[in-house]
Amino acid sequence: MSHDPTDVLAEALAADAGPFVELRYHARRTRSVAVEKGRVDQAKVAEHTGVGVRVLEDGTWGFASTDHLDVASVRHSIDAARRAARSSSAARKNKLAGLPETELARGRFDAPGYDELAGRPIDESLELVLRLEAQTRGHSKSVASASCSYTEVFEDKAVVTTDGAKAWTRLVRPEFRVLAVAEGNGDLQRGYESVGTTGAWDCLFRRRTPEQMSDAAARMAVDLLTAKPPEGGRKTVLLSPSLVGLLTHEAIGHTVEADFVASGSCAAGKLGQRVASDLVTLCDSGGSEYHDGAGGTLLVDDEGVPTQRTEIIKNGILTSYLHDRESAAHFGVAPTGNARAWEYDDQPLIRMRNTYIEPGESSFDELVAGIEDGLILDGPRNGQADANGEFMFGTQSAWRVKNGKRGELVRGVNLSGIAFDVLQTVDGVGNEFQWDLGSGHCGKGQPAKVDAGGPWLRCQVLVGGAQ
Amino acid sequence: MSPSVQESTSNAQAEAELITQAQDLVQRARDAGATQAEVYARRDASTSVTFEKGDLKLTQVDASAALGLRVVVDHKLGFASTNQIADTSLTRVAADAVALARMSPADEHNVLPEPGGAHADLDLSSGGAGDLTIEEAVEVGRGLVAECVAIDPRLSLDKADFGTGRAHLAIATSTGIQVARSVSGANLSVFGMAIDGDDVGGFDYWGEHVRERSAIPAAVTNTATRFGTSAVGNLGAGAAESYKGTVLFAPDAFLDIFVGPLTSGASAIAVQRGRSALAGKVGSAIAGKGISVLDDPSDLELAGARPFDREGQPARRFALIEDGVLNGYFHNAYSAHVDGTTTTGHAAGGARAVPGLGPHAISVAAGDAGTKSAMLQTLGKGLLVNRFSGSVDPASGDFSGVAKSARWIENGQEVRPVQETLISGNLFELLKGQISLGSTPEIVMGAARAPWALVDGISVTAG
Repeated sequence: MSHDPTDVLAEALAADAGPFVELRYHARRTRSVAVEKGRVDQAKVAEHTGVGVRVLEDGTWGFASTDHLDVASVRHSIDAARRAARSSSAARKNKLAGLPETELARGRFDAPGYDELAGRPIDESLELVLRLEAQTRGHSKSVASASCSYTEVFEDKAVVTTDGAKAWTRLVRPEFRVLAVAEGNGDLQRGYESVGTTGAWDCLFRRRTPEQMSDAAARMAVDLLTAKPPEGGRKTVLLSPSLVGLLTHEAIGHTVEADFVASGSCAAGKLGQRVASDLVTLCDSGGSEYHDGAGGTLLVDDEGVPTQRTEIIKNGILTSYLHDRESAAHFGVAPTGNARAWEYDDQPLIRMRNTYIEPGESSFDELVAGIEDGLILDGPRNGQADANGEFMFGTQSAWRVKNGKRGELVRGVNLSGIAFDVLQTVDGVGNEFQWDLGSGHCGKGQPAKVDAGGPWLRCQVLVGGAQ
Repeated sequence: MSPSVQESTSNAQAEAELITQAQDLVQRARDAGATQAEVYARRDASTSVTFEKGDLKLTQVDASAALGLRVVVDHKLGFASTNQIADTSLTRVAADAVALARMSPADEHNVLPEPGGAHADLDLSSGGAGDLTIEEAVEVGRGLVAECVAIDPRLSLDKADFGTGRAHLAIATSTGIQVARSVSGANLSVFGMAIDGDDVGGFDYWGEHVRERSAIPAAVTNTATRFGTSAVGNLGAGAAESYKGTVLFAPDAFLDIFVGPLTSGASAIAVQRGRSALAGKVGSAIAGKGISVLDDPSDLELAGARPFDREGQPARRFALIEDGVLNGYFHNAYSAHVDGTTTTGHAAGGARAVPGLGPHAISVAAGDAGTKSAMLQTLGKGLLVNRFSGSVDPASGDFSGVAKSARWIENGQEVRPVQETLISGNLFELLKGQISLGSTPEIVMGAARAPWALVDGISVTAG
């Protein structure tokens, strides 16, 4: 959109004399191409645009939405949201008196890359995907199938509130994925590489070219055909930056979301307590520390709060939870800019952004040398966290380590542990940092684009495997 | 007019409007240069209430529309979707889809289907569960919270949701397909845990889907009971023991680990593209005798019931596995054209993407292993897994993950909940081994039906 949408929202709001109203315009335009085994499965453009209206009336939230950006439609939705709040307020026991005063964003906030990608013809993306899929399939006779996809999501957002927010943000999030399936002796194995950033292609392919990712995916699929599952049990492991990202997100990040803390997560009541080895400093940030373009970058959250870097754990001590405006009021702290809504017709929830562990002082070789009997793990798959701190995440590949020496490849496994117990076992933190989870989405009733990362990290976890 | 007559008139009117809207966009696509065009049009209206920590959090009312346009230009594929119904938006959508198609390589199998004949006359919209007022929805939500809390005061409800709504959808194509239907229903769910002092139990959840307004009270009670009983049972978790052997899976976990990947591998596109372990297995035994998996889109107890698929083709009963033997693959129009056969009516998806491929309403048939109690006696000592949190590779069949809401069994009795317990194995190998299924299939989250299952050969790693 070339016109500032906050003006229409402000005009709709000017005619409303009631209590708190938050108007959120969100235009999401997605361009996507996907190819599998030489066939184009998707060549698409999708748009989903509208205004979400949240009101606080009689101490109760009401929400309505419209897919029209005009003053009359937005006013109609304000009325609908007010009716919803009034009709249900009798059911709310603890009325919300109001939101605390806080600094709210005003002005225009653009992340880099939007105009550059908007001007890049999509046929260049299709050509890339067709070429890389063919290259992946041609890597080896064992590669039976391959797929490759590229997606870019353009997000125009505006938030205007009765207590002063008036912000317009624009950003673009490109993602690239390549998958190889290798076949041998009736067995199928997959190798997968992906990257996602906030910004243009200079960010997306800064660390590895698409050709390098294609080669890595195909090689991994073929190599896994001859790899065996490792034995299960509690082991010393060296986690790659992508898996450190998964650990910070799944094991810690979810347990410190303030709505979840209020429900009684394992992080409740632990502020100021030691929850990790003193080597661990863990943050969640709307910015992109160390390297530009982290996938969850967010300059203003969906309540109009400017985002910030939030130190969750500092040198092993739990120092903060993640907040929206309501939870910040409940806990008596300032909001941290973590309110996020997936689309205009979703309500904002407390979500992570870019979550990471800060780098330490050890080299990769030093970390490996300190393992007597364990595994090096890489390649994130899915993950989940639990109220009791028990987490799980999957890995694509693993290498045995014996007496400080890297050994043979074994198949990826799933890991588990109790979050704070595992962080207490951290005894080595690498000195090189990577964002490496930017193609992932977090699920909490609605998706959220997040990133995570860190350095290589040595700790002890429970490894699933053969018995 | 009686309410039911008013309702059917309203449905018929909405469906007719959507058909007209879809036909209009088909014509715009043809005018823009499409050889063939297909439009999926949808309109939704819903009310939902969310409770957090046992208190009302938010009441939401929504009305939305969506249009998805698939075009073929000389066997080249393009797609565009929008929720903007204004004239300029629709013209742009047609132009975008055609432009995308023109730049894509041709694929001889990109052909839209012809009308597939009459589809079943299913009543998916007259049950009334989708038509509750805000006040009625709030009362159902309050009742759900109250029933949970009454089970045990140690329960902490992170979230309880109730949603009621109605949707109308239509499909029109340049090949002559014109179908429409209306759907009404309600969904409820609870997510949370039990807390006793410093003991925080693992998460649990349950949810149901109902079409009949009269079925809502029973669904509330069942949801509260299933959630509350299991969540409280997670308190005081201890350790399991590592072993390789038989594990008892609840229907939820059995569907996740064994049935979901099977249906994924039975996609004809997965087979054609070389990423399915079921390639070449039609007519072969891929599971033990007694294991039968049916996709029945006329099964009104499951949320996926429908008269036609995403391409407007009749949705039919499909016996995927009978007595362990694979009967065939799921097809949509594209995959059927590749194999020179006819679609099985399994095009899947919504307005925002090219139709995919998948089952609608899966049921696993009952076995002869008896009740859950009888199966616990058969297990004797070992692990019971209610839910699975992990990874399953549908290509290799390898799975690994955490046993959730799991219990340690001794002498056929639950002796304690367990945590930090990982299970792993290969589902294709295990399905051909020792599996026995319970006699009473259960509906899981309104989506699928399966019995309890005893599966031998699982690696259990305890922390």
